[in-house]
Amino acid sequence: MENRYAKQELFSPIGREGQNLLQTKHILIMGAGALGSANAEMLVRAGIGKVTIIDRDIVESSNLHRQQLYTEKEAEKHTPKAIAAKERLQQINQDTKIDAFVLDADAANLEKLIRNVNLIIDGTDNFDIRFILNDLSQKHQIPWIFGASAGSFGMTYTFIPGKTPCLHCLFPSIPGIGMSCDSSGIIGPAIQMTASYQTTEAMKWLTENEEALRTSLLFFDIWHGQQQTIGMNKGKNKECLSCGNNRAYPYLNQSETAHIDVLCGRDTVQIRPSSKKKYDFSHIAKHLQSHGNVKSNNYVLTCLYRDYRIAVFHDGRVLIHGTKKKDEAKSIYHEFFAETNLNLVTKE
Amino acid sequence: MIKVLFFARLQEELGKDNMELDTAGWTIDELKNWLEAEYNLDGVTQTMTAVNEEFTDGSHILASGDTVAFIPPVSGG
Repeated sequence: MENRYAKQELFSPIGREGQNLLQTKHILIMGAGALGSANAEMLVRAGIGKVTIIDRDIVESSNLHRQQLYTEKEAEKHTPKAIAAKERLQQINQDTKIDAFVLDADAANLEKLIRNVNLIIDGTDNFDIRFILNDLSQKHQIPWIFGASAGSFGMTYTFIPGKTPCLHCLFPSIPGIGMSCDSSGIIGPAIQMTASYQTTEAMKWLTENEEALRTSLLFFDIWHGQQQTIGMNKGKNKECLSCGNNRAYPYLNQSETAHIDVLCGRDTVQIRPSSKKKYDFSHIAKHLQSHGNVKSNNYVLTCLYRDYRIAVFHDGRVLIHGTKKKDEAKSIYHEFFAETNLNLVTKE
Repeated sequence: MIKVLFFARLQEELGKDNMELDTAGWTIDELKNWLEAEYNLDGVTQTMTAVNEEFTDGSHILASGDTVAFIPPVSGG
């Protein structure tokens, strides 16, 4: 019987040698949404040795049209994406070691998780986290493959520390207005195309075909069949604070503050308290029961309250589903989780 | 003349995907500021810019015959 990778080994740039290399490599996939799912599935099928996958979110029915690792069952149960992803990926290939983290990534917790990682794949949906990934990539000399998609558009670039410009060279500050799934919608094929380019670059790097890496930034519109490449010969900024002569890695040194983010592609706002909590769900359930129907699993507690669904994680993060408005979400949050109330439900 | 190409959101806002402009000698930043004011083109100052398909920063001075592409950052995923 042919081995499961026979056809991939027959592809001459990979060969048996490349396949053996791939099986020793460890990648970190940041985000298990649409791009993260598609990249993870392709690389796990390809036989990658180890995957660390990180996501802060839970599966929703509005994810299913494009996030290929998830099913209706997981949307109903509100399974955290990282957990659902691991389960599906392990069914696809039991030989790949998969570490899944339900985690709101920041500079500090990511830095611990990138040790011994050969490559980082961008499956995120915002530039705040990408600027952190970029600084970590430079500091630890780990390449990362940027990917982003919205509407029928996709954009990707392979950042190699010491060789290519970095994200901070290309954008002197975090872009304020990016096209997101909220502003432009998103179709599955744009995701698949972006992820296919990312995975192909990953395969090149991981099978040590470095000379084959694409050197330009790629932008495409799959609906109109257009493509634009941007050469990066003049992209590197010697004064860049992330990769230049006087580095400061500015995005690794941000102070802890409470964060409120609108999540990509749906009616959800995330609130992250300024300090980490250790919530005991039984306390929170008691507190919320009189306001609405409460359900919980090992990872998340949900409460239906008026037209909202509130999802609470052990670390204190709260997702308010049913609004895109930060102020509205904030006032719901404060009804239950005002700083004075937090003591009631915090177990240290 | 300078040929200017607009992509994605900029195309939708402008209602067209390119323009011919007589802006040789201008910097990229000057061109962006002018476009923003003239066409009310929201966020053009934050776009990535390529001149003749090479990444270029805002201080680059345009020469006749250049093709400029403005590509808005995509953030979703």
